[in-house]
Amino acid sequence: MNLEHFLKSEAPGWMDVKGLDADIVLSTRIRLARNLDGYRFPLSFTDGEAQQIDDVVTQALMAINNEHKFSHFMIKEMPSLQRQVLVEKHLISPLLAKKEKSASVLISNDETISIMVNEEDHLRIQCLAPGLQLLETYAEASKLDHQLEKHLPYAFNDTFGYLTSCPTNVGTGLRASVMMHLPALTMSKQIKVVTQMLARLGMVVRGIYGEGSENLGNIYQISNQVTLGKSEEEILEDLQNVVVQIIKNERGAREALFKNSRIVLEDRFNRSLGILKYARIMTSEEAAACLSNVRLGVDLGIIKEVPLHVLNECMILIQPGFVQQYAGTTLQASERDMYRAKLLREKLNTNNQKLMGKGEERYDV
Amino acid sequence: MNCEHCKERQATVTVTQVINGQKSEKHYCEVCAQNFHPFNLDFHKEEQIPIHQLVSNLFGLPVWNNGVEKVQSTSQKATQCPKCGFTFRKFLNEGKLGCPQCYETFSTQLPQVLTKIQAGTKHSGKAPGTPSHHNEWIKKQIESTREQLQLAIADERFEDAAKLRDEIREMERKLDRGGVDTP
Repeated sequence: MNLEHFLKSEAPGWMDVKGLDADIVLSTRIRLARNLDGYRFPLSFTDGEAQQIDDVVTQALMAINNEHKFSHFMIKEMPSLQRQVLVEKHLISPLLAKKEKSASVLISNDETISIMVNEEDHLRIQCLAPGLQLLETYAEASKLDHQLEKHLPYAFNDTFGYLTSCPTNVGTGLRASVMMHLPALTMSKQIKVVTQMLARLGMVVRGIYGEGSENLGNIYQISNQVTLGKSEEEILEDLQNVVVQIIKNERGAREALFKNSRIVLEDRFNRSLGILKYARIMTSEEAAACLSNVRLGVDLGIIKEVPLHVLNECMILIQPGFVQQYAGTTLQASERDMYRAKLLREKLNTNNQKLMGKGEERYDV
Repeated sequence: MNCEHCKERQATVTVTQVINGQKSEKHYCEVCAQNFHPFNLDFHKEEQIPIHQLVSNLFGLPVWNNGVEKVQSTSQKATQCPKCGFTFRKFLNEGKLGCPQCYETFSTQLPQVLTKIQAGTKHSGKAPGTPSHHNEWIKKQIESTREQLQLAIADERFEDAAKLRDEIREMERKLDRGGVDTP
């Protein structure tokens, strides 16, 4: 597969609208950090070592018989805009995008699995899935890990487990994250309490559009922090329990909001939809906020004409990299805001009929 | 009270330090306090970048206390990783280790760092070559979902019960297929 396949302006496969509690949980991500014995970590290795690792990993992946087909890309051969698009699709990390030394990525054709080579660790196996599917997604990652370990000399130690460059990943090397849309908890200011509770339980909350974008679009990424001293199953179970609790709280908060201020909400949702459909200048903050409102409107049954998968797609497309790709050139921030507005108008107005049809088709399959 | 440093001027500034939970108070005059302010001190030390301080603070190792620092760095110089040349001090500066061998080299010092950021210091998850305990976990999940189902039925929450029943069926289907779901 060539790189263009992975750059097209569509929501990736893991952003589909199936999966458990898909109205609140957008997606699940599992990441395993692995290193090869006998090589220094990317922090201190030589170009030669980097090259060898890339070769060994790529060969191992070609040798195993996984149902997924992978394509290999060198980071240094990619223009920066393309790197940014892959970051925005969550297929590579911002750190990998900055690497020049033999860093590469192997992406499965359906974009649900990506293996980053020579990021902070030699390997970062990442699996993505729509909705809340911690178990299933981990099973997928673990299976690939199990196949790879037959061909690769993993750095492992009985005491410390899988050895990683940073001690925050050592042990299981497992980072499980769940991306959640929590507008009602945010509106009712309960999110602070949730964040504090999570910190006590050894979990972290982040925004989806990276660090510092805390609650843009009311979307939060919740993941485990602890990787040593707990087994994979315990980590997943703890996260699962926490997420189920948050879903319950969010649903409760939504019900209360709906009961107390229905007309205010209806007004807000429809105004947001109007802005998305007709505005000519759109910052990413405003777009994210409006999309969040419309999404909640759809979840509560107030807005009926917008399918969820269009909203998922828009959430990805409003990011700067995608907007510039859509325009076909690099843009200043103010120009981006105009193109972003145009892109949203196209997605939500004229294509509505067509997209509805496409959505129905998907359900028929 | 006179300044503890120059012992001439009136002490007007109190400097409170907490190192490893040990609180100490010093009283200085304004002139001496400027020299003794922890931020001033840090500025004068070239190698001390904020991130280093951050990492060291995180791992609870004193940065400010010069005497202790010197003793530590000399004793740590002795242990240098044979594979990548990292010292424990370098690890604290970077926040990262240089190679897998480092874990072996610093196996005595690492646990004190790990207890601060992890749930334990001993790995209890899977190891290469061992089959995963995935099936057992699914079985446990089924069990707990069944309990929830009973509760739902008792409370006459039939919609929830139907959902739970479907979840159990789904999990049982997965179990039949060897724990790995391949859609």
